[in-house]
Order: sequence, then structure tokens, then C-alpha cells
Amino acid sequence: MPPKSSAGKEKDLAGEDDVLQAVILADSFNRRFRPLTVGKPRCLLPVCNATLLDWTFESLALAGVQEIFVICRSYAAQVKAAIQESKWSKPTSGIKIVPIITSKETFTPGDAMRDIYTHGIIKTDFVLVMGDLVSNVRIDEVVRIHKERRKTNKDAIMTMVVKESGATHRTRSRADYGVFVLDTETSECLHYEAAVGYPPTRHVRVPRDVLAEHPEVEIRNDLIDCSIDVCSVEVPSLFQDNFDYGDIRRDFVHGVLTSDLLMKNIYCYVVKEGYAARVADTRSYDSVSKDILSRWTFPLVPDDNHPSGHSYEYLRSNTYIAKDSSVVLSRTCKVNGPSLIGSHSTISPGAVITASVIGQRCTIGPNAVVSHSYLFDDTHLGAGVVVEQSIVGARVAIGEGSRIARGSLVGDGVTLGTGARLGPFERVSRRRSQAEDEESDEEWEEVEQNQGDNTATVGEGSNAIVWPKGPSEDDEELEEVERYDNQRLMRIGDDAADLLAHSAADASDSSSDGEDASDASSVHALSTAAAEHEFQAEVTQSLDRAFAEGHSVDNAAVELKTLRMASNVDLRRVREAVVAAIVERVPLVAGGPAAQRAEIAALVARWGPLINQIGGVDPVETVEVLQYHCARSTRQPLFGQLLAALYQDDIVDEDDIRAWHASGAARGQGLKPGAVLEGVKHCWRVGGKMIEQFDAQESSDEEEDEESDDE
Amino acid sequence: MTPAESANAATSHRSVDILVSKLRRRQVVGSREAALETLRVLRQVVSKARFSNIDQLVSLIKSVGRRLVEAQPKEHSVGNTVRKILHHIREEYNAASKSNGRKAIKMDLSISNFILQGQMRKQNGALKSEATITLKEDDPRDPDSFARALKPVLMEAIQDVLDELETVYDNISKMAKDHIHPDEIILTIGHSKTVEAFLKSAGHYRNYTVIVAETGPSYSGHTMAKALSAAGISTFLVPDSSIYAIMSRVTKVILGAHAILANGGMFAITGSLLAATAARVHSTPVVVCAGQFKLTPLWNLYHEFGALDFADPSSVLGFEEGNLVDKVEVLNPYYDYVGPEMVDVFITNDGDHPPSSVYRLIKETYDDEDHDL
Repeated sequence: MPPKSSAGKEKDLAGEDDVLQAVILADSFNRRFRPLTVGKPRCLLPVCNATLLDWTFESLALAGVQEIFVICRSYAAQVKAAIQESKWSKPTSGIKIVPIITSKETFTPGDAMRDIYTHGIIKTDFVLVMGDLVSNVRIDEVVRIHKERRKTNKDAIMTMVVKESGATHRTRSRADYGVFVLDTETSECLHYEAAVGYPPTRHVRVPRDVLAEHPEVEIRNDLIDCSIDVCSVEVPSLFQDNFDYGDIRRDFVHGVLTSDLLMKNIYCYVVKEGYAARVADTRSYDSVSKDILSRWTFPLVPDDNHPSGHSYEYLRSNTYIAKDSSVVLSRTCKVNGPSLIGSHSTISPGAVITASVIGQRCTIGPNAVVSHSYLFDDTHLGAGVVVEQSIVGARVAIGEGSRIARGSLVGDGVTLGTGARLGPFERVSRRRSQAEDEESDEEWEEVEQNQGDNTATVGEGSNAIVWPKGPSEDDEELEEVERYDNQRLMRIGDDAADLLAHSAADASDSSSDGEDASDASSVHALSTAAAEHEFQAEVTQSLDRAFAEGHSVDNAAVELKTLRMASNVDLRRVREAVVAAIVERVPLVAGGPAAQRAEIAALVARWGPLINQIGGVDPVETVEVLQYHCARSTRQPLFGQLLAALYQDDIVDEDDIRAWHASGAARGQGLKPGAVLEGVKHCWRVGGKMIEQFDAQESSDEEEDEESDDE
Repeated sequence: MTPAESANAATSHRSVDILVSKLRRRQVVGSREAALETLRVLRQVVSKARFSNIDQLVSLIKSVGRRLVEAQPKEHSVGNTVRKILHHIREEYNAASKSNGRKAIKMDLSISNFILQGQMRKQNGALKSEATITLKEDDPRDPDSFARALKPVLMEAIQDVLDELETVYDNISKMAKDHIHPDEIILTIGHSKTVEAFLKSAGHYRNYTVIVAETGPSYSGHTMAKALSAAGISTFLVPDSSIYAIMSRVTKVILGAHAILANGGMFAITGSLLAATAARVHSTPVVVCAGQFKLTPLWNLYHEFGALDFADPSSVLGFEEGNLVDKVEVLNPYYDYVGPEMVDVFITNDGDHPPSSVYRLIKETYDDEDHDL
């Protein structure tokens, strides 16, 4: 047709650099959706009755992408066929889609990137997304900013798109997330730390130079990583150079940012308007479906712009029913939102659908209950079936009265007999007929070989095999993200309360033992301890300087006050430090008590006032501090003389000493028996003698008074 | 190429596809914008179309129109534009063929058929075709002769519709000084370009005050207030919650419309119902300014929920409110349905009409057989 070809030419003439290219990594590189993904790639799983791939294409089309490369690995033929059949391969769609099949040995996104490099398809800046993206973000805007930045900074190789969500959000993965350290002004990503949900990541290390070089940084743990990256041409070649890079975030971003040699910058783009999320696991499958149904993805909503071109009518409480009036809703059935019912489906009398997605051509039997679940196309539920928080594949038949408890996954083509009972988090798939699939699947075979008698679970006449629960044998060898306990946090219907409670208990244990620094409260305790230690060192230094250089008391006091503010310690610590410093300063002289007393008097006269200038006057405490310090120190014998000197200089007066003497602390209450207690007691007795002297003096004063009165 | 094939080729025309996806992706929003885009596409389709009789042409345009309407049923002006074009094409064809000796059906005015009379009125007026055109349908020797003869008039007719769309604001605001009197206090909500032009033009002649409601969650009232005060009109911006409180002081409510329905009701920006209801309580007149392209042969008698066009909740509840997102259901409708009993007069580029005569305007503007595309 003439108009088409001319339009094609125009596009070419528009210039290579104007074509926005995108690369979709269509493979999941993990097994989180098993057994739904046996015999089918993940990107062809339906979300709200459109395949993930369609959602991704639509998200990219919305952003004005013109050329898309789809990197597929497992079931590549199916992906290719799906692209061929979809509306995207029509010449009028305005998008050119090229499927690229990589080898079976591609195990990580990193391998795929190396493959992209060897194919040499990337000529310009491109958008890299996963094949499970649902987004309405204006990616072209991000690309524009990225290109703008590249003009001034050739080393800005990548811009990651992240979405603000708050720390707890249904769409934010609990098990696999990242902490971003961003420069507030330029939103450059300075550091990236991946985190896992179990065992919970409790602390993040930020390199010191990040803080040193940037006046203002944000450390953010409230971002959804949308896995939309605007990359420069260098990115695939960097993967090629560093053959050990597997994951794009954990290895590549972290690696580039911590490398001393690469000197490349990565930036973040925090999305303010728009929605973007990945369907990375069954839990996010649930939350993204709900986000779509509650219209966060507008205009990508079923009644507006359904990626597979279905049309739905929007009804109250976020319910969508196929528009071609092929849906049969019986008079007594109930559909509670947010729900979606595909065309040609039948809901029988008494059935209740709550917050679920029903595929096309499904039948829901009488009195069946489907809540928070997802049924793919051509699935039939018998009468009285109960399905809760589960995903049921396509062409599944479930016998009457069966129960499917929360978190179960039922693979495509499974038939469950009458009265089947699937426990929570059960996974079943169809028994394979021989030589049916061209793709071999070790895990599947292994599961098939290890089948016991499951009739009680799957019912009579079922073709289902039950997948093992619990961690696999090689769990310990897996990466932290892929371990069983962490994967639990990614399962649909699993609130993992026991795990979280367990980890919380762990945390409180460790804090009481004071052994494990990973817990939040003990981190706090540690940090204050460290701060105090540092403070004491600082005070000693500053007093040393003051003594050595002969600062005025005022100056020394100012210095101490600032130190106290900076380290946030209480006043008593300062007092202790000052008193200690003075006590330790006393020069020991051999010439008998009189010479010693003279030395002390000189020192206290010079530095004593400092004690009351540190920000608060509390003579009783001063004496107490002095007592305790002397009790610990080797200078215990000097206590009496020091106290006398303080008294002489009016730093403490008689009443203070009496008050101190009467207090419990002065007698050493609450101390464990030992040298310190002895010292304290000794000092107390010395103080006692002094008070006796006061008494004697007083009586003599009185006598004197009387004498003078007599005169 | 058989006529059927040519029709298919034209419906899969690239510009049609582009507009379909733009409408689906909401990259074309607003009734005037959508109407203009539709016209441009239809002009291309007609100019490239091959047909040898009128039915082929009509079914071709209808099929294009159906695709566009299905792509976005909530932009009513798309369908309206298609209907209007069809109406014009038939008119031109009838005029041309009449001169060829074929007579249009003539009807006498009687109580039984007077509703249909509306369509006849315009025929005597703006006809582009000259009697010199000779039309030959289904000419076996030269199948294109019919198209060749009719196309220039058709293009001219489409251009007329385009001109009408482009001058719609001017024509509406011409009437402004008849509706706004000195020292009036006018309440308006949202940012309707028609209302803005109307008020600005009244500002040249009259001294009056406008109160603009903020119109959450879009807060388009802010831009409206800015535009009006820049034009030297004394303007107040008030929160939506105070609409009822100030209604007793307001002398007239002027609203914009997204679509005017056949029963005289309308779809208008969210908050219009609130303002109209408050106005009704105070017996304040409600005036609606809208171009004729918003007349829609549809009914909303049973208050179809889905017709209100719901947007995303993010302007009401931030996505970062993680805990709430899970528990709260947020509805954010673009439009309110305001019933005919709430509106006193529609000011269109074709004069003033009460809601009760909207059906007649629709009869005049579109052909009955096009109501369902």
C-alpha cells in the first residue's frame, strides 16, 4: 500500500538519532511464578486479561518509543508468535518490534546485556526495561533530561527511574529493594545498596567519601525501583568488560558506583507524576493488578486503553465488565470491586466474586466464592468452589466443592477432582504427557518423579502433580534474594507474619545481649557510646591544650560547651571530665602535706572556676564527681586536700559538703563491693572528718560570738 | 480494487490509526481538540477515498467514525464531528443530484412530521454546489467520475466545518454583552476556553465581577482566575467549599460544557453539579456556553455511571501514602452530569437555546440515521 511505505521512508529520513529505542528483557531469569511459568514464559502471563508483554509495549508506546528489541530466552518461539499476532506488528502501529533470541546459557540480565553488545543493535541512548513493566510515566521526558545531561557530562551513563511510594506500600517489594543515596541537588545516585527482606537488612554502609564530597545527600528507602533505565551506548560494553556483572542493580549499579576506576555517574529520576511498577513476583502481581483496577495507571485502564484491545465497561466500586454484553451475570451473583470479568464468562447464581480478575470464557459455578484471586482464560470452577488469594492458570477445571486456600498457584491445564483440598501455598501443575514439550525442564521432571499419593489433595481423576513446599536442598547455596525465606515475602497471600515476628524477636534478643550491632536500638546505643567515648577524648585534648597553653577559664569553658553541644552528652559527663582533668593535673610533690597543699591550692585557684562555668552550677554533684573520681584513681589520698581547696575557693561551701555527705551516693550506695566502693567509703569518711571540723569551727565561732557578745 | 477493499484500505489509513491510539492513550483531550483532530483525519480520508456512489462514501466515513468513537467513547465531540460531516455530505449530494433532476422528498408541515422538518430548514441556505456539476453514480466506464465530481464540494463542506470550529469562541462571545449586565456578580468554575472568551469579551463593554471556584482536584480555576484578572476583570478565587455560601450574592452562574446531551442535560467539569444545585436553591440563573460541536445525540436518563470518565486517584490521594492506597477507594471523575432542569440557557455559536429545544437543534445538525455510527 503506497501510503505505508512512504511513511516508513519518512521515518528513516527523520534521522537515526531521533528514533527512541527500547530494549525489553522479556525473561524473568528466576522461578518465582512456577508452576504458572511451566510451558509458558512469564511475559505472557495475563495481568487484567492482557499479557505482561502487552502492558510493557503499551507503556513504552505511551512514552513515544519507536523501536523495541525484545530479548527472550525461555519459550522464545511463543514470545515471537505472540508479538507476531499482536496489534503491534501491524504496519500502522508506528512501532517496530524486533524479537531477539538469546541462548539458553543466558542466566542473568547481565548475560543478556552482553548479548545485546555482541548483537551490536544499539546505536544510541536507549531505554532498558524488564518485560513485566506497567507504567504510564513519560519516559521520553526522562530521555530528554538524560540527553541534556550527557551534553555536559559524558560520564553520565545511566538514569534510573524510581517512584516515590513510602516505606510500606503494597506495590513496593518487601523482599528485594534498594536503598538509594542521592545528591539532593543533582539527583545523582551516589551509592546503591540492595536489601532483602529476610534475613532483614538492617543497616546500610555508605562510603565516607560520598558524605565528604557532597554537602547534601538524601538516603532514601521509600522508592519503588521501576527498572526503567535510560542507558547510554556504553552500558552494554561495560557489561561486556565486567563479565561477572549479573544483576543490573546489585552488580552493575553497585559496581559502577563503588568502582575507583570507571569514574562513571549514574543518575536517578524520581517520578512525581505517573505510575510505574514491575510484576516481579506473585505478590506484586496481586498489587499491580489492584493498582490497575483502582486506576493508578490511568490512562492505561481496562475501560480506556486496554493493551490487548478488549473493551470493558466501568461500573461502581472499580468493577469492570466486558462491554460486548457476552458476560452472563446471574441475578443472585455478587461482584464486589475492584474486579474485572472478561468477555464470554458466566457467573452462576449465588457466586460471590471479591476483588478478583476473571479471564475470558470462564465459568464460575453456583455458590462458588472467589476472593482476591486471579483466574486466567477458559477456567471453570465447579459448584461451591472456594478460591482465596490464589492464581489459577488457563484451561483449569476445578471440581465441585473444592477449596483452594490462600497463596496457591494452579498451573495451566490442571484438572482438580471433586472435593480437592489445596492447602495454603500449594503449587500444582499438570502431569505432562510424554514428549509434548520441546523445551526440557529439569525442575518439572524432578517434581514429576517425586510424586507420592496426592489424591486427598488434588481429588479423584485429577491430572495434577504437587510441587514440593519449603526450601529446596540447595537453598543455602542460592543468592540471598532467591532463598526460600526471602521468597516467601514475594508470595501472593503470604503476610509472612511468623517470619517478621521472628525477625523482630531476633532483633530484640540481640539488643538485650548487646552482641549484635545489626539491630536498630543497639545501633543507637552503640552510636551514643561511641559518641561519648569520642567526647571524652576530645575534652581531654582540649583541656590539655588549655592547661599547656594557659587559656583563660572563659575560653576553655566556651570550648567545652561547644563540644558538649556537638556530641549531645549530659552535663554530668562534662563535669566528670573537668574534675578528672584537674585531679590528674595535680603535680605530686614529695615535700610533705604542706607543699602538696600549696600546689593543689594554686591549681584549684587557677582552674577551679571552670567547674562552675561549664553550663550549670551544682556543687553537690561536683563533690560527688570528685569523690568518685578519686575513688577510682590512684590519687585517692588527695581527696581531702582537693575538697578543702575547693572549699577555700568558694567553689563548694559548707552546706554543699553536708548535703553531699548526707546523700546515698556519697556512701557508695548501689555500688558493688570492691576497690571502688572502698575508695568511695574512704572519701566519705574524709568528708566526714571535714564536717566534724566544720562543726568544731562553728561551735568555736559561736563561742567567739558569745565572747564578743560578752564584751 | 473493489469498493469494499478501498473502504478497508481507508479505514486502516495511517492517520486514522494514529488518532485512534492518541485517543486511547488520552493524548488528545478536550472536546474541541478532539473535534479538530477528527476533522483533519476525515479530510484526509475523504480526499484519498475512492468511491463511485454516495452509499460507499457514507459507509466509509461511518466505518472510520465507528473506529474513532470506539477508541474513546467519552470524547463525544469525535462522534459529533463525524455525524456533522455525514450530514453535510448528504446535503451537498442532495443539492447536486436535485439539479440532475432527482428531487429530494418534500414534506408538508404537519403535527405528525414536524420533528423531521428540522432537517429540511438548512437545505435552502448554505449549499456550496453549483448546478453545473453533473453527477453520474456507478458509471461502469469511469467509476471515479462520481468521486471526481463530488470531491471539491465535499472538501469545501469539510472546510466549512473546520472554519466553524475555529471561530466558535468568537461567535459565542459576540453574544456576551447581551447576557452580562453592569455590576453583575458571575460565578464560574474550572477553566473553559469558551467561558473565558465569553467573559473577556463582556469585559470590553461591562464592568462586572467574576468569582472563580478553585475546582479541585484539577484546580483549573487558578488558571481561569489568572487569565481573567490579566484581562482587567475584577476576579475573586474562592475554594469550592464556599460556593454555596456565596451563592446568595451571585447574580448568574456561567458554566462550560464537555457535551450537551439530547435531553438538554450536559456533561461538565466536576463541581458543575455542585454549583448548579446551589444556584437552583437560590434561583440563580445558570448559563452554559458551548460550541455547537458539543451537541450529542445521546441520553443519560438513567445516569450511566461509567459515562462520567474517571481519572486516576493520584491528584486526590498521593501514591506515596502507602498504607492508605491499600484501604481507600478513591473516585476521581472528570465530569458531572448536570440535568436539564438545572440549566436555564445554552449559548452556542448558533444562538441561545433553552434546554428543552436542544433535541431540535440536534435534529437540525445531524441526520437521524447517523445516531448510531
